[in-house]
Amino acid sequence: MSTGAVIFAFNNEKIDYVRLAAWSAQNISRHLDIPVSLITDSDVTPDGFDQIIRVKTPIAGSRWFDDIGSTVEWKNTNRVDAFELSPYDTTLVLDADYIVASPQLHYTLNSLTTDFLCFKKAYDLTGRTTGNLLNTFGQHNFPMSWATVLIFKRTHLSKIIFESMQMIKNNWQHYRNIYKIDRPTYRNDFALSIALGIFSGHTNQVDFILGSIPTLTPDVELKKFSSDGYELNFIKNNKPVWLRIENMDFHAMGKKHLETMIENS
Amino acid sequence: MKILEERGFVIPAFNTTEVDYEFCASKLKTSILKFHPDAHVTILTNKDLMHDKQVGYANDWQVYHLSPYRQTIKLEADMLMASPCIHWFDMMQHRDVVISTGARDFYGDKVTSRYYRKIFDDNHLPDVYNAVTYWRVSQTAKDFFKYVKDIFLNWQNYKTLLKFPETTPSTDVVYAIAAVLIGPEKCTMPFSSFPKIVHMKRYLNPINHNDWTKELVWEFDPLRIQTVAQWGAFHYHSKSWLK
Repeated sequence: MSTGAVIFAFNNEKIDYVRLAAWSAQNISRHLDIPVSLITDSDVTPDGFDQIIRVKTPIAGSRWFDDIGSTVEWKNTNRVDAFELSPYDTTLVLDADYIVASPQLHYTLNSLTTDFLCFKKAYDLTGRTTGNLLNTFGQHNFPMSWATVLIFKRTHLSKIIFESMQMIKNNWQHYRNIYKIDRPTYRNDFALSIALGIFSGHTNQVDFILGSIPTLTPDVELKKFSSDGYELNFIKNNKPVWLRIENMDFHAMGKKHLETMIENS
Repeated sequence: MKILEERGFVIPAFNTTEVDYEFCASKLKTSILKFHPDAHVTILTNKDLMHDKQVGYANDWQVYHLSPYRQTIKLEADMLMASPCIHWFDMMQHRDVVISTGARDFYGDKVTSRYYRKIFDDNHLPDVYNAVTYWRVSQTAKDFFKYVKDIFLNWQNYKTLLKFPETTPSTDVVYAIAAVLIGPEKCTMPFSSFPKIVHMKRYLNPINHNDWTKELVWEFDPLRIQTVAQWGAFHYHSKSWLK
């Protein structure tokens, strides 16, 4: 039974996702000791991957990125294909901007008692975002399930969840209407949340990864101060603030800042 | 009233000029019987009142005397039962009186808003909801409803004991005061251990209008609100919903 990680990376005119993925793959190998495969439309062949799985460029949407200061092409709609594309029996799917800095996911992978897992909650590491902003979506605060980190076994149950996500993606306008989602752009997180609702018989009672995703909003600048230590720079109450974290996985939503940090490290 | 059965549900449905509670109660009864065809359900109407009809909710104390069951679960009329509930008797049969405590939103999460509960907080009253109340024929239950009657009929005196009292008492406030008088430990249970209601009042849910029925998607059989499956007692609050 094979276990491995998969990262989706589709470059756009502003962000080199493949580079982020290659850097992330090193961290994953170091902490989780599993092979990492890249799913991309890019022709480049970076080192450090077990397999490079080339696919067609997914349909692009557009999304505003605070750290870039403009709307950019966003080709992140084919997470639903992870079940078909992954070469592993047990797969860890990670966003290219999810930083693995600890063996936390190693323990999760080695104690799996269910076929499908993701995080239910996220929190702002800087403490500036409170309430439900990160944990619900739509006008009526439907509970979020995060597609940033997915763990699934190649089973019928996992297949049903991915097929449900595909159905939601194919009928996105319909589901937008029901859940009253303001933004037109399809999001993997929303599709996953809705799919898990369906999968659970509309009870939303499913198993989740223990804990919440420590998250950095796009405006937070990053510096590295040790192999798994990161300094966060941001503005809080109109004052510049820095914070250091070490040996803690986190989701860095500011791709440009992450790219800059990788360039400088 | 003479005891006819060991266990049963009682639904007070005292019509007012504004609300057809008898209609609401008939819908609630149907929803219970869907899960429990053999359940005993009694709807109490204005013509069942043994004593003079009082204004507003002040007839509530009479349900103790009108129930034909040794063990009774009283349910407010403007609710639907969204899942089996007969096991509630087994859960509560070791107590003389149990008033439901706390409420849930339509996602099933514990309500944290205190928007409608200021008087409870200001006066340190237990956070009870009379919408689901259990009792068995006992001295405790008799005392409890004696207090409920006394508070309703002498509200002008009782309200002097409270900070920021209501002009006309709500049944929940009266039950809360009665609970304090007999001891909350005798008539309430922790939130997590008792079948608590889903309450669809505006500020208890992530909705933007007073009438949720104009805003949320709902489905019947099974009851789902905004796609979320409901369970237990669903207090729809908007009385004209099922008309």
